[in-house]
Order: sequence, then C-alpha cells, then structure tokens
Amino acid sequence: MLYHPKPHKSNLTVTVNGHPIEREVVTHLRLLDFLRDDLGLTGTKEVCGEGECGACTVILNGKTVNACLILAVEVQGSHITTIEGLADLQELTELQNSFETHHAVQCGYCIPGMVLTGEKLLDRNPHPSRDEIKYELSGNICRCTGYHKIVDAIERVAE
Amino acid sequence: MKYYRPNTITDFFELCASLGPGAMTLLAGGTDLMPRYESGKAMPDHLIDLKMLSELNQINISEDEIVIGALTTIQDIQENDLIKSEFTALHTASIDFAGAQIRHRGTIGGNICNASPAGDLLPSLYLFDATLFILGPGSERQLSIQDFILGPGKTALEENEILSSIKLKRTGLHSEFVKVGLRQSMAISVVNVAFLFDSVLEHLKITAGAVAPTIVHLDSFTDAYLKDTSSLSDVLHLIDDDIAPIDDIRATASYRKKVLVNLVRHFITSQKLEHENH
Repeated sequence: MLYHPKPHKSNLTVTVNGHPIEREVVTHLRLLDFLRDDLGLTGTKEVCGEGECGACTVILNGKTVNACLILAVEVQGSHITTIEGLADLQELTELQNSFETHHAVQCGYCIPGMVLTGEKLLDRNPHPSRDEIKYELSGNICRCTGYHKIVDAIERVAE
Repeated sequence: MKYYRPNTITDFFELCASLGPGAMTLLAGGTDLMPRYESGKAMPDHLIDLKMLSELNQINISEDEIVIGALTTIQDIQENDLIKSEFTALHTASIDFAGAQIRHRGTIGGNICNASPAGDLLPSLYLFDATLFILGPGSERQLSIQDFILGPGKTALEENEILSSIKLKRTGLHSEFVKVGLRQSMAISVVNVAFLFDSVLEHLKITAGAVAPTIVHLDSFTDAYLKDTSSLSDVLHLIDDDIAPIDDIRATASYRKKVLVNLVRHFITSQKLEHENH
C-alpha cells in the first residue's frame, strides 16, 4: 500500500479476466491493491512488495508483470488475467492439474505466480527444456524451496 | 498525486511547461521507481507516465547503426535479432537481467537514467560508445553515454529534458558480457564486465561495472596488454589503476577486484585457446 498526502482520483477502465471494469481509483493505488482490495481477487499475493519475488505476478496484455510495481492508473485500457481468470472453478487447466499431481504446492503462497508464469511460457513455447523452464521461473521465488516439483509439473505439460 | 499520460512529445513538453520547473517525476517501466516509493520515499505531486510516447518505443536499423528508443523494454532488446548477432554483449546482458516480469516492464532508457554503478546494460553501452539523443522543449542534443552519466543516480539531463533514443554503431567486432552476482537471477551485480574484440585479440576494449561510481574502461590494462600480448600475468595488476571499488552489503572492494581480474584473465585465456584451436 502506498501513501500520498494529497490523494487524487482518476477514472480507470480495464478488462480483468474478460470482464470490463470501470472504477474511480486514487492515482497512487498499486495494481496489486486494486486487484485484491477493490476487486476482491485475492489470488494475487503480496510477499516482498518490491518486485523481487513474483508472488503478485499477473498477465498484463499478454506478458507477466509484478502487480506491486505498477500503479492501477497505468493499466488504463489494458487486459489483465489473474489466477482467478485462468480456469473456471469447476475445471482446472492442464498445468494446474499437473501442479496438483506433482505435489508442487507446499505453503502455496507463490503458486498463483508460478502457475501464471508457467502458463505464459507454455503459450509461447509449448515444449521448453528444463533449463528454459528454470530461466523463465527465475523471477518467481518459492521460500519453501520446492522448486524441483514445480519445474517437474511444468515439464510434464511441456512433454 | 496527479498522474499524466501524454500521447506525443509535443504534449509532453507542453505539460512540463504548464507544471513549472522541478514539479514532476518521470515514469517509464517503474521497476526502479516503485520500490523506492514502497520503501518510503515520498511520491511526487505530479507523475508523468512516458509509456504512451510511441516515438520513444521503436528500434530503427540502418546500414551502419541501430537506434534504440529509450522506452524499449529489456525483453524487446533480448528478442531483437540484430542486437543478438551484432551486439552480443548487450543481448547477453538482457538475458541475465532480473526476471521475466521485470524485463517486460524495465526500459533501456530507465536503466541509463537511473545511472546505477551496477546497471547491467551499461558496460555494453559504454563498450559500443553509445550516443544518446536528448530532447528538450524545441531542442535536441547528443551526448556520449560517458558524458551523460555523471555519477551514481546523476545524469546530464537538464530540467524538462528527456532521453529519447540510443544510437550504436555497427562495428563488425565481437562482444561478450559476463555478470557475477550473489545468485544467478534477480541479483544486483557484484561485478559486470563487457568485452569488445576481434578474433585475433588485436583489438580489445573492456568496460566494467560495480567497481567504481560509474562504468569504467580498463584502458591502463588493455593498452599494456595489447603492446605485449605475452605479458598477461604481468599486466593484470594494472586493472587496479582503472577501478575504485567500495565495500557494500553485496561484496567487499577486494572481492570485487579479485572477481574482475579473474573474469578478465579467463576471457583472454579462453579467447587465445579458441584462436589457437582454429
């Protein structure tokens, strides 16, 4: 959460998980707080709050970004996908199922970011090598250090 | 905080004029600016987002040069074929740069204007003797990157000026970049170093970062080495004359020096071996 002694409001139009949204927001509101507090999309996590860990990864116009490093007003007119938008609650994606079958989740806090990063990698490159998977995940930190199973889960889908 | 998003350079300068001197902060990718606000630095009263300035977001290639718009992201640099084949050091630096989320937002202009002693694109830009185009209200000027970066966080940008693009000359020489950090990704460099060379190592230029307040050329060393290429182990100590490292939370000055010397020695001996084997 950022602070400004002289808050100003601005109108924001953005598409989140396919839904057009219009809200009035303060200009110093982070995208992360907009998603979690204004829209109730708490699948996007905050851990470091300074762009180091990737827990707040969302997909902005087709690219993974850290929602803690972006102001909500910056995404005017953009398309955003959060973990909630990846699959409906009845059916998970192939990658989400793979995370489950590989027991890739320990505390789970990094997992929304890991899954979104993995999905974007597979979109761009359906058959990445193990090294390519590790490289792509380098902006996502797991403090349970359960990296092997996370990489396994993505690798299985990539086969 | 008032937030502005001008669509053209003309709109940008009109906005600057209406706000008056010193009133605003410029925002590009935000990957360095936002962590400062998160750690308590006061946010400005006026924030100008440059991302809609499409004139600053293109790469133009001609026969003898490449001009990279200041808003080009690190990811776009990584994916550019010409940079990959002819400016390998810059390409490698864009690969070793943070993580995907940061590369998708961070810009080359931001990396230059932040003027961090450890900025990962900077040794390569010094190596290729980058020329920077600077726009002011109704004016345009050029500076070499060496004259642009004055010290940590300090540049020659004046009030109401912006960095618009970066020009690199196509030389046909080879280049390489090596970074050492405390871990492979998402770590600020302890030392970064870039090499410009021909296949027989008769031409050799080396630039290094995180070993002085700004990027330095290792000219004392390369001058001596090129005079007598059998002297490598005798002249490596001259690197000391070109650098002024400090102790900080990431490494001590003596560690930085040792790493740099080892990187230079390794580069030259491996290049020599490669040449002998051909």
